[in-house]
Amino acid sequence: MSNDHDGTTRPDDAPFVVELSGVHKEFGDAKALDGVDLRIRAGEAVAVMGPSGCGKSTLLNMVAGLDRPSSGTVRVQGQDLGGLNENGLALFRRRNVGMIFQFFNLIDDLPALDNVALAAQLTGTTARQARRRALELLDELGVAHRKDVYPAALSGGERQRVAVARALMNRPALLLADEPTGALDSRSGEQVMDLLIDLNQIGQTLLIVTHDPNLATRCASRLVEVADGKVARERMLEASS
Amino acid sequence: MSGAVWRASRAAVKRRRVQTVVIGLVVFCSTATVLLALAVISAARAPFDDAFEAERGSHVTALFDPAKASAEQLAATAHRPGVEAAAGPFDQAVVTIPADWVGRPPGPLALVGRPDPASAPVDRVELLAGRWASAPGEVVVNNPGGGAASRFVGTPLTTNTGVKLTVVGFATDMSQSSGGWVTPEQAAALHPTGRQMLYRFTDAATEQQLTTSLANATEGLPEGAVESGQSYLVLKQAFSAGADAYLPLMTVFGVLGLVVAALIVGNVVSGAVISGYRHIGVLKSIGFTPRQVVTVYLTMVSVPAVVGTVLGTAAGWVAAGPILQAAFSGISTGTAVIEPAGWLPVATLVSVPLLAALAALVPASRAHRLSAAQAISAGSAPRAGRGLKVQRWLSGTRLPRAVSLGLGQPFARPARTALTMAAIVLGVVTVTVTTGVTTTLAKSMAAPDRSTHIDVQTSAFSENKIAPRLTPEQTTAMLHTTPGAEQVSVRGLVRVGILGQPQLVFADFYGGDAMVDHRRLNVVEGRLATGLNEIEAGPAFLDQHGLKLGDRVTLVLEGRQTTVTIVGKEIQGNANAITSNDATRALLTPDPHVVEYDVKLAVGADAGAYQKAVTGADPSLSASVVTPGTEGSVVAIQTFSTTFSALLSVVAALGVFNTLLLTIRERRRDLGMLKSIGMTPRQVVAMTITSVAWQGVVSGIVGIPLGILVHRLIVEHVRIIAFPDSMIDVWGAPLLAALALAGVAIAVLGALVPARSAARLPIAEVLHNE
Ligand SMILES: Nc1ncnc2c1ncn2[C@@H]1O[C@H](COP(=O)(O)OP(=O)(O)OP(=O)(O)O)[C@@H](O)[C@H]1O
Ligand SMILES: [Mg+2]
Repeated sequence: MSNDHDGTTRPDDAPFVVELSGVHKEFGDAKALDGVDLRIRAGEAVAVMGPSGCGKSTLLNMVAGLDRPSSGTVRVQGQDLGGLNENGLALFRRRNVGMIFQFFNLIDDLPALDNVALAAQLTGTTARQARRRALELLDELGVAHRKDVYPAALSGGERQRVAVARALMNRPALLLADEPTGALDSRSGEQVMDLLIDLNQIGQTLLIVTHDPNLATRCASRLVEVADGKVARERMLEASS
Repeated sequence: MSGAVWRASRAAVKRRRVQTVVIGLVVFCSTATVLLALAVISAARAPFDDAFEAERGSHVTALFDPAKASAEQLAATAHRPGVEAAAGPFDQAVVTIPADWVGRPPGPLALVGRPDPASAPVDRVELLAGRWASAPGEVVVNNPGGGAASRFVGTPLTTNTGVKLTVVGFATDMSQSSGGWVTPEQAAALHPTGRQMLYRFTDAATEQQLTTSLANATEGLPEGAVESGQSYLVLKQAFSAGADAYLPLMTVFGVLGLVVAALIVGNVVSGAVISGYRHIGVLKSIGFTPRQVVTVYLTMVSVPAVVGTVLGTAAGWVAAGPILQAAFSGISTGTAVIEPAGWLPVATLVSVPLLAALAALVPASRAHRLSAAQAISAGSAPRAGRGLKVQRWLSGTRLPRAVSLGLGQPFARPARTALTMAAIVLGVVTVTVTTGVTTTLAKSMAAPDRSTHIDVQTSAFSENKIAPRLTPEQTTAMLHTTPGAEQVSVRGLVRVGILGQPQLVFADFYGGDAMVDHRRLNVVEGRLATGLNEIEAGPAFLDQHGLKLGDRVTLVLEGRQTTVTIVGKEIQGNANAITSNDATRALLTPDPHVVEYDVKLAVGADAGAYQKAVTGADPSLSASVVTPGTEGSVVAIQTFSTTFSALLSVVAALGVFNTLLLTIRERRRDLGMLKSIGMTPRQVVAMTITSVAWQGVVSGIVGIPLGILVHRLIVEHVRIIAFPDSMIDVWGAPLLAALALAGVAIAVLGALVPARSAARLPIAEVLHNE
């Protein structure tokens, strides 16, 4: 797996990839985030947990630049997202973040390979090059043999691995995952977890939102607990496996 | 549970506000178009027939020789087999009015002695002004144009034999049975030369049947008793000759309007149901029965469909009157009334909601059969398998990914794409036909020269009867010597008879310098009739009399006659008009009957000063400045066809709009995902526009040749206008390019708003909620 970081980087002195300070988000009267401060260094794997409706997904959206805070600042890779317009945010996402979702969000009328290649093609990479890299990724994730299959015919685990491949296509500094195992049976869930662990091992920075304590403890080096839109507790976890 | 059904329907309508509005809007525009289309088609089809039947018009107006058939013998023909009804016999006399009268040129006038025909069994002549002749010396004049000439009621007339008559009324009839009517006693006193019988036959559909029926009715009369028989079919043709110019055009627009409207309503409504499959699945999973689901969806589309239909019918009804007026303004309609028929609103109020319900029912009944799980998955995305190869191939091309994604999108829903494209194609056809027809007309009306003319009318045309101060020769000389004149042409107008034909025709006789005035029609075949005993005529005249170039006819006027050759075919013209020259006129009558002089001014001449000088020299002359312009009927056709093509373009664009709206709703998740991996708003717009722009291009490629074909068909079927090829071939490269853009424009216009809303789609919400 190609990545700028390698396993020897110590999190303590690595630069910050994510810096949230005083982030508030209101939807009408409802407060989804109520003053969140959070920093994530390069190479860290952070899990966010908390009860349903506490604001986890909202937090993730702020980091991905999918939504804007009502107040407070969001910096990713040193870039203040508040200073970017819609277009700038799109370009930012392209270069810096990869996202995976509970329900995969693959495009149904493209086969696995083209779903993955798509991310690179948006940046102007030629179809041939994009497909070559997509195939490499699918191969690394163990689903290369399914490259010509349409999402409808893939299993849940396979779909999520294709989605991960797509998220990694542009070598993002940050991989965001919202309930990546939420829609999977336990065996497929395990596979995806192993995949995330492997990625972190070779230096990929991860921010994972989950309800699943098993996922959090296995994959993450730090656990952030959110309640009522605030960071309630943070603790370091033992390096897994 | 019916409460639940109603609540679910209401919620569905509320939650899909945009869709509800779009359905309402599309149905509104379509209904208005359908109503206009039907109004035009029905009005163009039947005005003659309706008016003819209302008047109980005569199938054959027969003229008998009074020396060979007595009044008793003729009255008996009414009871012969095959005669449904008859009126007469009436005495007919032909008098000559030597001077201008009630705004008409001098000439012969046929008079029939008839009691008030208001309740006659045949030919109920319609009184337009004044009253029916009830005493000797009173005359009712036929005013074929139909307009009321009430200001002339009371005008005295004197025939060339000194008989004094007073105009007591104006009337007209679809049968054109006489030039005027007097009392039977008065007719008898005028030395009648014929006896008129008006027949309605049981078999009257064809010329052949009419001949047979007349022969049956007059069986047993002495040889040669029947002098002439005027068939209503010939009249009908003469009447509809004017309408024929417009008929093909209007029928084409009407049919296009109907088809486009039906397509779009079908597309919009069925689309609404298809995009609701997921919702249907959810309803089923919580226990709605299939029938209840169908009810929810029917209600959901019925609300806006009914509102749209009612409003569209109202709008169409309001617009139909003026549009029909404009459309038929170039046509003489006799007593036929051109107005939207009363059944039209009923037709749209019934048919459009029915169409909408049908369009909803087809996909809804499919949903009816689907299991809840199937419906949920069918609604989330188009079924895989269709159009996937195309997507695959496109993703490998060198096109920007946003563009290739857009190109592939329509293949996912081929049926919806086909319906949308059909609408765009028809929109393009309409625009093409409109452009072609208006260009052809504009070309045909282009004035041959662009200089300023002074139109000088003699008292023959004006209403205030000032006695002329100058003779025609003196007037011509005066016009020549007044500073500024370059050429002076003279037009005389007389009604002349044609040997063997019952009706008189208007003959224009041109003289002077150029023998051409701004009114003179172009000759498209043969040449201008400038030589002695030469005439030219329009296609309607030639058609109706079965004549062609090179044929000869004999003109008759005041006892003189001369045989002339048809040397030119005019571009258009009345079925009752011919054009000749002053030298030929001189063979028929010594009086030039000048109605008009046409003065072509030298470049830079002062038109105002010239005008004043003319009226100063002879106050009976009225002079007006004529700058080359467009003719009224052309303007009518232009407004009319432009209205239709605008309406159809809007409806087609709405179709595109709706298709995209549905597509975007179905693909929200995909769009959100694409944006999450870094597709910029501009790329989203590019993708969405591309997905319809190519349909616009293809529609252009298909629609333009179709439009050209339809244009050619229309132009070739317009029988009163003979377009030369130069006017039919209006398709230059720039025009074609502009038309090709029309399809794209229609598509892009409809795509703009949805594309922008797609670009603004809140990603976070979509990705986490769906
Ligand atoms: N687009 C929105 N409009 C209105 N309210 C919203 C929106 N998105 C989130 N919220 C509200 O903000 C709060 C936080 O939502 P969020 O999706 O972040 O919760 P979550 O922690 O991810 O929950 P879950 O674990 O169920 O996914 C909730 O109360 C939710 O109702
Ligand atoms: Mg969530």
